[in-house]
Amino acid sequence: MKAIKIFMALLFVSQMTFAQDDESKLEINGYGRTYLGVLANEPQNYSIFQNTVNMEFKKQNDKIGFYANPYVYQYPKGDLQFGLREMYIDLFSDKLDVRIGKQQIIWGQADGVFITDIVSPKDLTEFLLRDFSEIRIGVTAANLNYYFNDENSLQLVWIPAFQSTIFPEEGSIWKPKMQFPLPVIEQDFTKESIPLKLENSEFFAKYSLNAASIDLSLMGGYTWDDDPAMHINKIIDPATMHPKGIKLTPEHHRLSLAGMSFSTSVMDFVLRGEGAYYFDKHFNTQDPSATDALIEKDYINYVIGLDKTIGDWRLSGQFIQQVIMDYDDLIMQDQYQNLATFLLSKSLFREKVRLEWFTYYGFNNEDALSRIRVFYMPYDALSFELGTNIFIGDKGMFGQYNNNDMIYTRVKYNF
Amino acid sequence: MKKMKLILIGMAFLSFISLNSISAQTGKEIAFKVYNRPTAKDGESDMKMTLINKKGGKRVRNIHQFYKDYGSVEKKILFFKSPADVKNTSFMNWSYDDANKDDDQWLYLPALKKVKRISSSSKDNEFMGSDFTYADMEKRHPDEDVHKLLKSENMGGENCWVVEATPKDQDDMYAKKIAWISKSKLLPMKMDYYDEDGELLKTLTINKIEKIGKYWVIADETMHNVQKNHKTVILISNMKVDQGLNDSKFTQRAMKKGL
Repeated sequence: MKAIKIFMALLFVSQMTFAQDDESKLEINGYGRTYLGVLANEPQNYSIFQNTVNMEFKKQNDKIGFYANPYVYQYPKGDLQFGLREMYIDLFSDKLDVRIGKQQIIWGQADGVFITDIVSPKDLTEFLLRDFSEIRIGVTAANLNYYFNDENSLQLVWIPAFQSTIFPEEGSIWKPKMQFPLPVIEQDFTKESIPLKLENSEFFAKYSLNAASIDLSLMGGYTWDDDPAMHINKIIDPATMHPKGIKLTPEHHRLSLAGMSFSTSVMDFVLRGEGAYYFDKHFNTQDPSATDALIEKDYINYVIGLDKTIGDWRLSGQFIQQVIMDYDDLIMQDQYQNLATFLLSKSLFREKVRLEWFTYYGFNNEDALSRIRVFYMPYDALSFELGTNIFIGDKGMFGQYNNNDMIYTRVKYNF
Repeated sequence: MKKMKLILIGMAFLSFISLNSISAQTGKEIAFKVYNRPTAKDGESDMKMTLINKKGGKRVRNIHQFYKDYGSVEKKILFFKSPADVKNTSFMNWSYDDANKDDDQWLYLPALKKVKRISSSSKDNEFMGSDFTYADMEKRHPDEDVHKLLKSENMGGENCWVVEATPKDQDDMYAKKIAWISKSKLLPMKMDYYDEDGELLKTLTINKIEKIGKYWVIADETMHNVQKNHKTVILISNMKVDQGLNDSKFTQRAMKKGL
């Protein structure tokens, strides 16, 4: 309730600010959605049972803009989860746009994977199955865009308070399975949060060229790793003097990166890609001499993709690779992680029906997630969605959820 | 009397020259006249597109559009205002005079918060589920067709040339088009589109023409797919032309900022 009161107060202030001699109107949009998913395997539990109201308030003129996106999720037991996905104020001028407040900042050219899209962290409560607008977490930031001309611009982002990835809670079917050589008998979460101090800020910069022939960006970041490194310490049994288990201490570390992204048209295709070089990422290792079973290594992550439209069909394919530099065989992760995605989509009956098939395929573990979805829009702004999420394999990023195959339906009304 | 005779002979001669010049108009010359008619360098307008199915059910799309002609390239940006599920989506198209160069297109989806370069839609595809294809809504160079002047007749209160255009490209989606071109306004008043089997597929009827500034423009038109009995009505309103629109209107920054 407190969140709603604060939001309403901000809305009131914004109305007052604009009220003077402003003809722009407050736009109110949003959607209501009912989402029901059932696991395909026995005992066919509901994997999700959720009602959502998502509101958007927007007011904008040539100089100032205000936007707020509150939402509420309601679950069968009656519990409500309120949130404010975004709330920011825009200041526009001829060459400079400034956005201050909680906002989603989206970078990169890839679909469904995150290579240089590292400004807004992720909410993985339901793995990658939510809409991407719900997966990305807004960050409170000062976001400056300076336009040298119509083609060249520079973006600077300052995030004073770090926000980590949100992982599923204990007991969730989406909790990632972590494998350790010994049982985890103690966990210490005291080091997981980053103190709210100026020196713990994150900084990002991006130069963009948006021309007819190519969209090109060069970016860099001095950030925190959104995913905590797992510090592992053996716990010795005093009776036997042998390790009886491990103590796990998740901790975030600084991470720097430099990267680029591009998209261009080649023949009838759109060719796009992005890549980044990450410095000093902490990887778990089995090297007994390593402190806390961690070692720092640089790594490269990149994607290359092709899109094509053939008649009413839309096709897209991506290849993603992660390479750990100066690799050591004791690192508990393959040196090369290879992934591919495929998308096939078609609209029918004057856009009343849309079929979509999106698949992730992991080469290392031969695992996959295949999502087949049918959208039926009998009236404008109303959609019925029927979909399946099929996990293939027994290990890896997707195979670990092999028991989570599901069928779901969503009814959504936009207003 | 002699003077009068001379005047009559003179008038008859002039009429003969005039008639001769009309009959000498070829279909190709008319097509080029239409293609080269004066048009605004830039403009903006509201577009209301109503899709009507055979049962009379309607779906409405509201768009605000900007365009600017740079000579070798025409830039257009569309902002979707309704229905609610596509509100604030924007689409930018840069089309080139060079027939060998594909359009560059970008789409901004507010839910994804990023501008995405998209592969140029096939020009034969329906525009937003309507009865217009992307190609129907674009200027077509006369050299892409063989033109034949069939006759002159009145259509929609206008004295028109009736010109048949047969595409040179065998793979074109239409076998031929027949257009009723207003002689005074150099705009089509009606067009019939024939499918690959030579059957009538669609008829475009111009319901209203307006003069905006120095230019005649189509303000109300209906495309009727006679084979599927489906119609699309496009109404153009609040049109402004030659405002000297800033180039920054046709950028990804503008797409994200919205109206």
